[in-house]
Amino acid sequence: MKKKMLRRTTLREIRGSMGRFLAILAIVALGVGFFCGVRITTPAMVNTMDRFWQEKQLYDYRLISTLGWEEDDVARFAAAEGVRDAEGSHTLDLLCHDKADNEFVLKAHSITKDVNLLTLTEGRMPTAGNECIMDAGMPGTLRVGDTVYIADGNEEDTLDALSHRAYTIVGAAHSSLYANFERGTTSLGNGSVSGYLYLPEDAWDVDYYSEIYVRFDADDVIYSKAYKDAMDARDPVWEQLTQTIAERRYDRLVADAQAELDDGRAELADKRAEGQQELDDAAQELADGKQKLDDAKEELADAEQELADAKKELDDAAKELADAKEELDSGEQELADAKQQIEDGQATLDDSEAQLLDGEAQISDGQAQIDAAAASLAENEAMVEAQAQVLEGKAAELAQALTMLDYLPDEQRQAVLAGQAEVEAGRVQIEQARAGLAAGRRELEAQQSLLDEKRAELADGWAQLEQGRADLADAQAQYDEGLAKWQDGKQAYEDGVKEYEDGLAKYEDGVKEYEDGKAEYADGVKDYEDGLAEYEDGKEEFDEKIADAEADIADAQQKIDDIDAPDTFVLDRGTNISYACFESDSQIVEQVARVFPIFFILVAALVCLTTMSRMVEEQRTQIGTLKALGYSEGDIMGKYMFYSGLAAVLGCVIGYAVGIVLFPTVIWRSYQLMYIPLRLHLVIDWGLAAAALGVSLLGSLGVTWISCRLELAETAAGLMRPKAPKAGKRVLLEHVPFIWNRLKFLHKVSIRNIFRYKGRFFMMVIGISGCTALLLTGFGLKDSVAGFADVQYGEIVTADASVVFKSDIGDTLPPALTAKLDAVTADYTLLHEASWDLVTKDKTKGMSVLVPLDGDAFADYMTLRTLDGDPLSLPADGEALVCNAIAERYGAVPGETILLRDEDMRELRVKVAGVFENHVYNYIILSPGTLASQLGEPAACNAAYLHFPEDADPYQAAATLAQEDKITTVSLFDEIRIRMGNMMKSLDLIVLVVILCAAGLAFIVLYDLTNINITERIREIATIKVLGFFRSETSAYVLRENLALTAVGTVCGLFLGIALHRFVIAQIIVDLVSFRVRILPLSFVWSVLLTIGFDLIVDLFMGLKLDRINMAESLKSVE
Amino acid sequence: MSTFVEFQNVRKVYKTGEMEIEALHDVSFTIEKGEFCVIVGASGAGKTTILNILGGMDTLTEGAVWLDGSEISSYKRKQLTAYRRYDVGFVFQFYNLVQNLTAKENVELAAQICREPLDAEEVLRQVGLGERMKNFPAQLSGGEQQRVAIARALAKAPKILLCDEPTGALDYQTGKAVLALLQDTCRKKGMTVIVITHNSALAGMADRIITVRSGTIQSVRKNDHIVDVRDIEW
Repeated sequence: MKKKMLRRTTLREIRGSMGRFLAILAIVALGVGFFCGVRITTPAMVNTMDRFWQEKQLYDYRLISTLGWEEDDVARFAAAEGVRDAEGSHTLDLLCHDKADNEFVLKAHSITKDVNLLTLTEGRMPTAGNECIMDAGMPGTLRVGDTVYIADGNEEDTLDALSHRAYTIVGAAHSSLYANFERGTTSLGNGSVSGYLYLPEDAWDVDYYSEIYVRFDADDVIYSKAYKDAMDARDPVWEQLTQTIAERRYDRLVADAQAELDDGRAELADKRAEGQQELDDAAQELADGKQKLDDAKEELADAEQELADAKKELDDAAKELADAKEELDSGEQELADAKQQIEDGQATLDDSEAQLLDGEAQISDGQAQIDAAAASLAENEAMVEAQAQVLEGKAAELAQALTMLDYLPDEQRQAVLAGQAEVEAGRVQIEQARAGLAAGRRELEAQQSLLDEKRAELADGWAQLEQGRADLADAQAQYDEGLAKWQDGKQAYEDGVKEYEDGLAKYEDGVKEYEDGKAEYADGVKDYEDGLAEYEDGKEEFDEKIADAEADIADAQQKIDDIDAPDTFVLDRGTNISYACFESDSQIVEQVARVFPIFFILVAALVCLTTMSRMVEEQRTQIGTLKALGYSEGDIMGKYMFYSGLAAVLGCVIGYAVGIVLFPTVIWRSYQLMYIPLRLHLVIDWGLAAAALGVSLLGSLGVTWISCRLELAETAAGLMRPKAPKAGKRVLLEHVPFIWNRLKFLHKVSIRNIFRYKGRFFMMVIGISGCTALLLTGFGLKDSVAGFADVQYGEIVTADASVVFKSDIGDTLPPALTAKLDAVTADYTLLHEASWDLVTKDKTKGMSVLVPLDGDAFADYMTLRTLDGDPLSLPADGEALVCNAIAERYGAVPGETILLRDEDMRELRVKVAGVFENHVYNYIILSPGTLASQLGEPAACNAAYLHFPEDADPYQAAATLAQEDKITTVSLFDEIRIRMGNMMKSLDLIVLVVILCAAGLAFIVLYDLTNINITERIREIATIKVLGFFRSETSAYVLRENLALTAVGTVCGLFLGIALHRFVIAQIIVDLVSFRVRILPLSFVWSVLLTIGFDLIVDLFMGLKLDRINMAESLKSVE
Repeated sequence: MSTFVEFQNVRKVYKTGEMEIEALHDVSFTIEKGEFCVIVGASGAGKTTILNILGGMDTLTEGAVWLDGSEISSYKRKQLTAYRRYDVGFVFQFYNLVQNLTAKENVELAAQICREPLDAEEVLRQVGLGERMKNFPAQLSGGEQQRVAIARALAKAPKILLCDEPTGALDYQTGKAVLALLQDTCRKKGMTVIVITHNSALAGMADRIITVRSGTIQSVRKNDHIVDVRDIEW
């Protein structure tokens, strides 16, 4: 009965101090909720993933042999102990393109029936060999219904392994092998895998499996100790088993191959002998033919000789005949000439005779003339002598005259002188005539001699004529003889001609016969040569074939000899990227979970303690009364225990229920951006629930016990007396009058009050600072995570886009491409991009190597600076700049030499010259000289960073570039920034939860403490109200302390928040992304404002409470 | 002398849930300026309610209350506060000193919100606590604390000093001393002082005695034989 009353007062107590009760309940709920929620998140995530992988029968072992596996091997593994399923699978990296010719690399897997099952999200499973399932999470434009083409650029083996060159996508699926966004790397293309393809068994044209997936008949939870232990136990056995089966396959393979090869060898030998025989026969036949031909040739030669001889004879005969003809002809001519001569001679003789006769006549005529002339001359001489006598007579007459002359008259003298001249002239004339007559005489004598000569001549002519006649007669005789002879010759010649013509006809017949024979021979030779050529060809072919066959056999032998004993790999789930990543990712939450709840537990305990202490204090009198009434200490304490215990239990239940749903859900949602979408399977951990309940109860009861203990120790009478009010105390600051005296009076009061209750002071500061720290962490988380993309693509990478060229571009850009780039971009710089593995002692990690080909221009596209913001210059030859994530995670600090290795196992050793700020991808920057000198070939230009013109639409421009043949990829950095930003948006949820928790924390603490403060000081407040403090003054008087404590707490919280933020960011390690540990000034402002805001809200409520304080009531008595 | 305080048919009803309790019923009286008035009544008679209403700490249900020509019963909340602040000085049974403030600071607490406060130290010296100014309440005896409370009320230079059982928590001698202080204040400063007490023996020292019983005024009378408090025995 008494207990019942006690319980009633307890229940009334709860109703009466609902705020206080709720404060305890809420803080416990918050603490438990946060603690359990965060605690249970990792198990819930693991549980979700575990269910998924169990359902999809994720493999336990992935067995790889360098020789591949065959069906029998699969059966052997399947028969091994504890195996549920073993299934062979094909895997290939494929260079593919879509119908727009965009190239990308896909990982092709065969669809397995029992392990690693797919989750179809769209479409259907393939039914034909040319159908496939695509990666549901694949970026890009491929959609169900499209066709994916296998590029011709794939290696021969790759193309051979597939039965088709194009596959129709009939569905999209999530693969249990790829639970997160990572698709691994490849040696093809640009080294990155865009997604996976699942091809049905019919799509493959290979007779071996590239791997075998083994699933054991056990369903231990992923990452669990049970699983790990079970696998550890299996490891040695399976390594042994795998090696054994692989070796057996090796032996079989080698033996089979060797047997086949030996058969081949024998066959070759047979074939060779057979062929050789055939060849020999042919050779013999050819030799016979050749002999026959040679004989024929000889015969022909003889015939030819004979013919030649005949021809010569004929020619000689012809020549002789010709000569004869010529002789005959000339004889004829001669005869004709002779005849002519004879006739001419006769004519001449006749002419001579006539002439001689003429001459005789002439001579006779001449003699007559000379005789006449001599007679005439003699007459003329006589006449002239007669004239000369006449003249002399005259001359003598004149000569007398002449002597008398000078006496004579003139006329006689004249006549005498004229007669003198006439005589003189006559004398001359006579002389002249005499001379003329002498000349005539002389001429007549000459003519007489001439005539005499002619007479002699004529006589000779007569003689000669006679002689000529004799000669002519001789000639005639001779001619006649010659003619007879010529006629004989002519006859002989004509006979010869006839004979010759006969011979010629005969010869021509012989020639014809010979030509025929020769043609026949030539045909024979041709036949022979054809035969020979055929034979040669045949022989060559034979040799070649034999040689080829021998080479093949040698190769085959070599190959068989080269087959290395197989290396086997027993890969467990840890080698699956998503499996490994998920473990570490889910651990992050656990890491974070270790710090956060401490706050809440601490604050919850403090709140509980303070509240209960106050409550007990307030109820001293009641306790004393109860005690005086005879209730035991236990009963009394029970009341408070019940009070706080009930609050704790209710809070715990509510907190647990909300926490284990809210936290995993929110965190899971934020993880969804990295993992395939799965519905979260919540975990209800009753152990954790019990622990939380235990701790809450223990805590609340503990603090209640602590609170009650002192009071209950007092006597009932003591309790009934009012407790001496806590004495006022001076604070340290009062000893510094310099400051103290300057403070306003009410401020002094507040300061003194603040330090009056140290416990409350610390609790308030812890609570408020926790609130601010949480807020700051939440906002900072967002700043760091959301900001990294902004920093990366706003400050660090300042280029607008990057393009990747086709690999066959060569050393220089084709003019068409250059023209295109010039047209579309504002400017661009060429790069060499490659994927290299950074090899450290314990890990190997793929890195993107950037080699700016134009070092000076590169700064316009990417800002290289240290985390402190100091600018960095490009590395010299043999040096490297590494991004901060590499430096932090792989210890590549300046001065260290790092080793890089590519797919072809080429190595680069470079010294780290600096660490640059970078947040997305792991970049290593090298100089072209480093590659040239260490690899022996210049760095090929395969990418470019570019800026678009200010006014251009980047998406448009990117699309234009993408159409260019030689460009495979165009990435807009802004697009990446936005995408990453969007991805990180889900963090808003986490931030929101943190803010809500912080707000809850702040409210509860502020409310509870202020509430306590007010109830405890209710008389004081009433007093000042009575003293006439206005409402605002009263509020300020009481709540100024809150504000001050909030300020102190906020400042502490900022420092705490920075540390907490650092810690949380350090726990969140996401591959390829390095968050920037930064909190924006605005976040500080918000954290402070929100904290103060929470305080003001609480103050507002408290102000109302202050209003409700009834002065008169409060002042009347001491309760 | 003129009427300084006037209650006109004041009725006060307290409501607690369904219940209505009439604390005052048709209370009317006047007090003149400079008077030392004692309101006497048994516990629960309604004297504190009268004081609370007069002090601006409580409102009335019906009627009117005037002080120095102002109807305080019509005051709104804020006016009431200002009224308390500038016109009324309170002295409580349990002193209600702010524990965290020294004697002087407690006086200053009141003084610093007034328009023309008296000097705190001066007032404290007047109440005989010149030496204890820097002590915290916990370091003072009950009488001393009450004197601080009186000093605090006086420092405001109020129009009226209201004292609710000022000696209730004090021993006889100390109570007497405190009452003497109040009487002196009234006499020397001309302050209107109203003291509430259940002890009718104190009535002898008052100028005016108002007797309250069961929520109504039983009698109001002027005391023609004022006795010095030091001569009163109870």
